[in-house]
Amino acid sequence: MRSFFLVILTSLLLLPELKAQEWVVPDDKKGKLSTFSFDDNTRKAGLKIYTTNCMSCHGMPGKGNSLKLVPPPPDPVSQQFQKNSDGELFFKLQIGRGQMPSFKNVLSTDDIWDVISYVRSFNTNYKQLIMPVITSSAYPGSVIKMVLSYNQADSSVILETSAVKGLSSVPVTDAAVKLFVHRTFGLLPVDEEKTTDKNGKAVFKIPHSLPGDTAGNINVSARFTNEDVFGAVSMDTVLNSAIKGTAVSLVARRAIWNNMKNAPVWILLTYIIGLFTALAFIGLVLMKLRDVFIIGDTLSKGGENEVNN
Amino acid sequence: MTTSHSGSARHKERLDSVAEDVLRNVRFNRGFILWMGFLSAVLLVCLYAYVIQLRKGLGVTGLRDITSWGMYISQFVFFVATSLIGMLISSVLGLIGYKWVKPIARIAEIIAVAFAAVAGLVIISDMGRPDRFTYLFMYGRIQSPILWDVTVVTTYLLVSLMLWFIPLVPDLAIAKDRLEGRPKLLVKVYEILSIKWVNHPKQVEILNSTIRILLILIVPLAFAIHTVTSWLFALTPRAGWDSSIFGPYFISGAFVSGTAAVIIAMYFYRKSYKLEKYLTDFHFEKIGRVLALVSIVYIYFNINEFLVPAYKMKALDSIHLQELFSGEYALLFWGVQLFGLLIPTILLLFRQFRKPLPMMVIALFVLAGSWLKRILIVVPPQAHPFLPVQNVPIQWVIYKPTLIESLVTLATLILVLMIITILSKLFPVLPIQELAEEENADLEKQEFNN
Repeated sequence: MRSFFLVILTSLLLLPELKAQEWVVPDDKKGKLSTFSFDDNTRKAGLKIYTTNCMSCHGMPGKGNSLKLVPPPPDPVSQQFQKNSDGELFFKLQIGRGQMPSFKNVLSTDDIWDVISYVRSFNTNYKQLIMPVITSSAYPGSVIKMVLSYNQADSSVILETSAVKGLSSVPVTDAAVKLFVHRTFGLLPVDEEKTTDKNGKAVFKIPHSLPGDTAGNINVSARFTNEDVFGAVSMDTVLNSAIKGTAVSLVARRAIWNNMKNAPVWILLTYIIGLFTALAFIGLVLMKLRDVFIIGDTLSKGGENEVNN
Repeated sequence: MTTSHSGSARHKERLDSVAEDVLRNVRFNRGFILWMGFLSAVLLVCLYAYVIQLRKGLGVTGLRDITSWGMYISQFVFFVATSLIGMLISSVLGLIGYKWVKPIARIAEIIAVAFAAVAGLVIISDMGRPDRFTYLFMYGRIQSPILWDVTVVTTYLLVSLMLWFIPLVPDLAIAKDRLEGRPKLLVKVYEILSIKWVNHPKQVEILNSTIRILLILIVPLAFAIHTVTSWLFALTPRAGWDSSIFGPYFISGAFVSGTAAVIIAMYFYRKSYKLEKYLTDFHFEKIGRVLALVSIVYIYFNINEFLVPAYKMKALDSIHLQELFSGEYALLFWGVQLFGLLIPTILLLFRQFRKPLPMMVIALFVLAGSWLKRILIVVPPQAHPFLPVQNVPIQWVIYKPTLIESLVTLATLILVLMIITILSKLFPVLPIQELAEEENADLEKQEFNN
């Protein structure tokens, strides 16, 4: 009976959700394709990304052990999942909806394609279509290139872009670009969105307070904001630009989580004082019992006077 | 001179009659042997279950990765809670000056000693490798509430034992000459334990001051023991345990279960030991009021503990609370709150229900409710950890105690009953000396009867 009411109640609550069940991807995004072909390497990379970012909700592919959320996260092996085109999957992963998070700032374009390549490995009917050349509508027939360099003097990162066609190369101008720094759980945008100048250059300021690893290295990525115009071009590089990470060992100081020798002083004192106070009173009580015994013992030996004095 | 003589003669007469009534039960009669035989037989079966657990590991219980604390830890919390009653009766009520607690104080201490003594064993039953128990002392961390818990439970047991033993000393001295027909060994034990007591004024003075020290010492200790037990839960950020009032919530609940246990014991001693003269309707009336009072306090803490998070319904709290209010545990939760707390409290507000038999029945409900309440505190919060539960079989997520686990849990209860039986069969359950001097209590009682 209880479960019956629960079903009714949840259905009522879910009505708006059910209406929104259909996830429509804009027409111009549906046909988007990967620029590289899927192989064992991309599938392996995709598996790794899937395990870290997707499995907690979607479960192991084919095991049907996805989380019971509303709407339910589909199993990647399912028909419902695989009927999406590559472009639709890309859009959904990148933008997200409701409880499906946006991975725009977490995964690079290539990462997302890696995941799609892994997920497609469960579909035997799948035939990959590859975007023939990295081209852009702005620079037809050209391959877009990016180069990042670091200027120690004012701690800035310079991005140079060019469109290469055969042997000729022209700067990509008036293109919106963004710079990201790799952090443990995703990409952190640094500075603001910039537009490339007439030389195809954009300059980003790296904040002085940005911690890097212990050698002072940070991993940065540059991307075009408008991928549709400039193609999926991004560049990762490691720059020695950040302040050196001062990774103090978590067990270097006295702390709750440290070993007993390095326990916080207040805990040591409270425990020891508390314990010894209790033990002292218990000792006192035992001494008093001994006194009772001695009095009785003396009396039994006829020492009435001794006791009374 | 003459009045003092007749006074002391009257005292002697009274002492004789009290001693006879109380010591009548200090013997190994057939009932005792049958009862202990029954307990031993059940204990053997339960110990066999424990042997299976020892050989095969904790996999034979319902405990798994997700719900790793179940019946055992609930039983531990229940035992520690019930043992707190020693402090409430002898110390808090005794120090305030209520004379009516005198005949009940030792019963409360017996319960305190028995439950505190076995509480530690319950923890060992929850260990997959009990042979590594000593590691706790070798490698224990002073920052861990588990080490604090072991420390306070041990200390509390020691002090409770003293609070049972020290007021017993004069009675042992009185009794040792009145044990005709009992085993020689028992008389010898009385002789040794009475530590040469002759009721000399100096001895009386020392003993009284010693008892006072202990009565004061036991108060912070008892608060510490159960607050630390609550911290085993409340020092984690888990929804359902992450509560700042868990300490007082546990302590107020402890008084409820302990008082109920004392009422059941009082009823049993009154009937079976034929002590109607000493454990009168008056005493039941008084302890009934105590149970009503501590229950009301506990109801208040329950409202606070559930209403505050339920008003806010933070994401993870709401999952836990809905499981309790309308989900998996709803029947148990509302059953415990209604039949184990609310209805008993309302009934106890009426004088007709504060009579021995109805109160014993009410106390049984309260005690059973208290035990189930500990299950509700320990188990449901574990089913919804912060990290999503994934890739595990469903039976790892939902906790279902097994038969073996239930038998091992029963074993610890049997041990408690055995300790209570032995303490109340080998030694007087009522304070002979004090009852013989109980002029003031008589006055109180007369007021009550008028």
